[in-house]
Parts: sequence; C-alpha cells; structure tokens
Amino acid sequence: MTIAQAVEVVKAEPVVPAEETESKLTGCFASDLMSDVLALATPGSLLITGLTTDQTIRTAAIRHLAAVIVIEDKEISSDMREAAREEGIPLYRTPLSKYEACALLMNAGLRPCRRQGTFTR
Amino acid sequence: MRAMQEEPLVERKFPILGRAYFLGGRASTSVKRVLTQAGVDEETVQRVSVACYEAEMNVVLHATSGHVAVSIYEDRVEVVVVDRGPGIEDVDLALRPGWSSASEEARSLGFGAGMGLPNIQQQVDEMHIETTVGEGVRLAMSFRRGERRNV
Repeated sequence: MTIAQAVEVVKAEPVVPAEETESKLTGCFASDLMSDVLALATPGSLLITGLTTDQTIRTAAIRHLAAVIVIEDKEISSDMREAAREEGIPLYRTPLSKYEACALLMNAGLRPCRRQGTFTR
Repeated sequence: MRAMQEEPLVERKFPILGRAYFLGGRASTSVKRVLTQAGVDEETVQRVSVACYEAEMNVVLHATSGHVAVSIYEDRVEVVVVDRGPGIEDVDLALRPGWSSASEEARSLGFGAGMGLPNIQQQVDEMHIETTVGEGVRLAMSFRRGERRNV
C-alpha cells in the first residue's frame, strides 16, 4: 500500500503532504508511546497516533518512518507542523478513531510492523 | 569503554537542556547526521539514534542539563550521555520495563512509560551506568558497526 492509498482509506487530510505519495509503506504501527514507536516501528512504515507534539515527528524522523497520521481530528500545533516540515515527515489528520483507522487499514491490506521472521500470517 | 588508547575517527559533542521539551531530540538528530556523514552503515545509525534519543529524553525529562558525546571508530560507535540532575536511586529498578519515575508532563509528551533504559539496552552491545543520587548520571554505550544483531 502507498501513502496515497492509506490516506484515502482513512479519509485523511494533508497537514504537511508527502512529496512522494506513491512509495510503498513497509507496514503500520499505532501508538501514543514514543518509546514503543522507537522500539517496534520499522523504517518506512506508517504511524497512527493521538500524540500531537513535535516529539512525534522527531521520533518518526529518528526511526525513518514514511508518514504520520493523527487521529480524531486533533488540533495540530504549529510546533508539530514546523517539525514535520523541518524533518521532512509527511503529516496527515483523520477524523477517525485510532481503532477505526487501524481496522480499515488492516482490512485494506496494510500489514503491521513486525520484526523480520516473526509475522506468519 | 575499552582499555586500549585509540584515537576516534570522528568525535563530536552536543549539549542537552533539561526541561526544554521542545528541543528534545535535537541532539540525537545531530548525532544521526554526524554518523551518516561519516559513512556509518544504516543499521548501526538506526540503533545508535534510537538509543541516543531515549537517553536524551531521559536528560530532558529528569535532569537540569547534560550533553551527548559521540565517538566513531573503525569498528564501533561509542556514545556517552552525561547529566547533572537527581541521578537514579535504583538502577536495577530503572532497567525494568514499565518502571518509571517520570512526571505527568513527561508522559503527556509520549515518554516516561518506563521503556527508555530497556529500549537502550536492546540497541547497545555494551552499556554502563554510573550514577550518584543528587548529582547525575553517566551512561556509556557502545555499538559494534555493521553487524546484524538478533534483537
């Protein structure tokens, strides 16, 4: 699945749109805990989160994530927006809840982040 | 961390400000840039960046000031994060996944869930914590370059 397709699936609006929306996502991870994102999300994956601070963006950049989608139409601060531009992390916002966004993306075929060899489905 | 005296290929140091939440992650971003520019392989850059970011956030969330020093050698990367602050009362407890002494403020930033040191431990090949309560923490980490690890 590409960033463009994922954005379409969760009816997200661009906040800081991706320059390249056709690149393939390697998977998806959902969390508000940045330590979990650092430990478990894989490079090139999509992050679904309710955390709207610039730490979300710094974490995504350090982990080389492909894009971030904020849930529940949460207010996005200018700091977060600025960090996304600075770090080159595409940022989107969906009106859906985290559960709904994840369920729709999973149904559409986007796989969860897994360490190599542990995902058997 | 090693006994032999050996000059690093690259050596850099970046300051970390305690409580400057909005700057949290800047020092690690700089470390990542230095590693990439020095031609360190991507996997090692990832491991160092993740560990460094967690360590930096520990300083931001708990301490008053500190710095991160990175040294790149032919075969490894060494990172030392030093802070002035409250120190760690019980290191064994702090290494336990899920244990945290972080404030509500830290948690609202998506950190402080008690995974910092355990995450660091997952990324490093060697780590050493020295701490004095009321004075601060010195965390030394070493990463072998270019080796695929079973984490």
